[in-house]
Amino acid sequence: MKITKEEALKIARISRIAIKESEVDPLIKQLEAVLSYAERVTQVAAELDDQPSNRNVNFLREDVVVKADPEPILERAPEREENYFVVPKILDKK
Amino acid sequence: MKDLAFKTIQELKQLLENGDVTHEQVLDYFIDRAEKNKDLGAVLEVFDKESVLNSFKSLGILSAIPGYIKDNICQKDRISSCGSKILENFTSNYSATVVNRLQQEGAFLLGRANMDEFAMGSSGETSAFGKTKNPWDKTRVPGGSSSGSAAAVAAGLAPWALGSDTGGSVRQPAAFCGIVGLKPTYGLNSRYGLIAYGSSLDTVGIFTRTVYDNALVLSAIAGLDLKDSSSLSVEKKDYTQRLDGSLPKNLTIGVIDDALEADGLHADVKKGVEDAIKTYEEMGATVKRVRIKTLEYCAASYFIISRAEAASNLARFDGVRYGMRVKENSLLDMYEQTRHDGFGAEVKARIMVGNYVLSVGHAGDYYDNAQRVRRAIRQELDDAFRNVDVLIMPTHSAPAFKFGAYDDNKLEMDLQDYFTAPVNLAGVPALSIPVGFSQDNMPLGMQLIGPRLSEGLLYQIAHAYQQKTDWHKKHPKI
Repeated sequence: MKITKEEALKIARISRIAIKESEVDPLIKQLEAVLSYAERVTQVAAELDDQPSNRNVNFLREDVVVKADPEPILERAPEREENYFVVPKILDKK
Repeated sequence: MKDLAFKTIQELKQLLENGDVTHEQVLDYFIDRAEKNKDLGAVLEVFDKESVLNSFKSLGILSAIPGYIKDNICQKDRISSCGSKILENFTSNYSATVVNRLQQEGAFLLGRANMDEFAMGSSGETSAFGKTKNPWDKTRVPGGSSSGSAAAVAAGLAPWALGSDTGGSVRQPAAFCGIVGLKPTYGLNSRYGLIAYGSSLDTVGIFTRTVYDNALVLSAIAGLDLKDSSSLSVEKKDYTQRLDGSLPKNLTIGVIDDALEADGLHADVKKGVEDAIKTYEEMGATVKRVRIKTLEYCAASYFIISRAEAASNLARFDGVRYGMRVKENSLLDMYEQTRHDGFGAEVKARIMVGNYVLSVGHAGDYYDNAQRVRRAIRQELDDAFRNVDVLIMPTHSAPAFKFGAYDDNKLEMDLQDYFTAPVNLAGVPALSIPVGFSQDNMPLGMQLIGPRLSEGLLYQIAHAYQQKTDWHKKHPKI
């Protein structure tokens, strides 16, 4: 199992993780080792009789609006303005 | 002042009831002991005395009994760092259900226990806030990811601690440190307030030095919680009831051959487990050898499923709502730099493995087949429990290793989960108990594995063993 540099960079991008040039090779080495080992599930799966999945049932509840103070949530934000989270500008003027 | 360091919960309760010590003396003693053993790296923060006393209750099964909480389990208005820079200054605005229940029973929550970052690691070495040392030999790791919880209990910093077990993170460090570690049935202990890693595998587990103490703590926290949608409909109960020192009548124990005869199993571990099996035979149990042929594929299945779920769960750390943010001019750069600087190397690698196995073109090979293996091991264990009451296998392949041993071989580190992850895949409970020492005096651990919701049975069997042996009474010189 081989991972190219392009694939590694693509996965980093999908993961929203910046990656430095010096980090690429060790990362590829680690991904290849884990994924090569993990491939054995493919070899065995065909021989396994498939089983029904777990029948645990999740608890559900009514989706009810309750009044809550937003302050404890907002005060934990790295940057906020009134009742909003502030992020870097998303839209540019043409 | 009495030496309270290695008193069990049972003994501390007796001392308190008799008036030999006061609840404040207990608290003072253990806060002081934590300060004196800072070099162990087990504890990230010891709370100030007044704030711990605030929640004191004179009633409750754990009244004035001190313990530590792994730092991925939220305590209201305390930091919950997950051992990560990205949450270094994050304080939770609510408590986990298990924390609330411990406080309702009067327990003293002394502080936050160190851990591998986001519970990803088997040695404690991935914590952003320093390594935890093994109390038996400070040049060795305590295991992980609940490194601080295990080391604290083994070193007598407290008689109990909570950890989390997603692929072995309670049982493996319990084995490395010579103490008792429970991974409960999936859904028995609420996950509400446990910061998610692999949601279909995550459980809140318990460290203690005796089986009896472990049952006491489970009695405080287990049972239905409507805030966790995967919680099981189980009533609160007293798990110490069956602990009279006897084994159940006609007990049949299955020994997993595929584990005991596995390549690479350390001779000392093998001997420890075989001796424990002999003890059970002498006590009247019937022992059968069983094959679990899916076992050898479980670590691979676990790698895929846990990383996939982690990639999804850890997407929430984006520098927007809480946690750290790296200032950048564009939103995308802010996300990417925040996650680059905030997460350690192991966490980043696991997120990327997760996104790889879930991506178009790979999900069929990896993720779908991993789920197929998961269903197979679940079925195979269910089938085994038709013929035996419980299963036995080693908790770990070798005694605690030295710091840095796997720096250049991360796969070998990941394979620490080999004997423990199958239990998480199947959702069944397992209890790791100390069964001896290696030739170089490091603790050895063995797992008792039972069908879903058989915690009471596992405790009974393990407690009976502890009445015949004294491994659990040995402590490191600290």
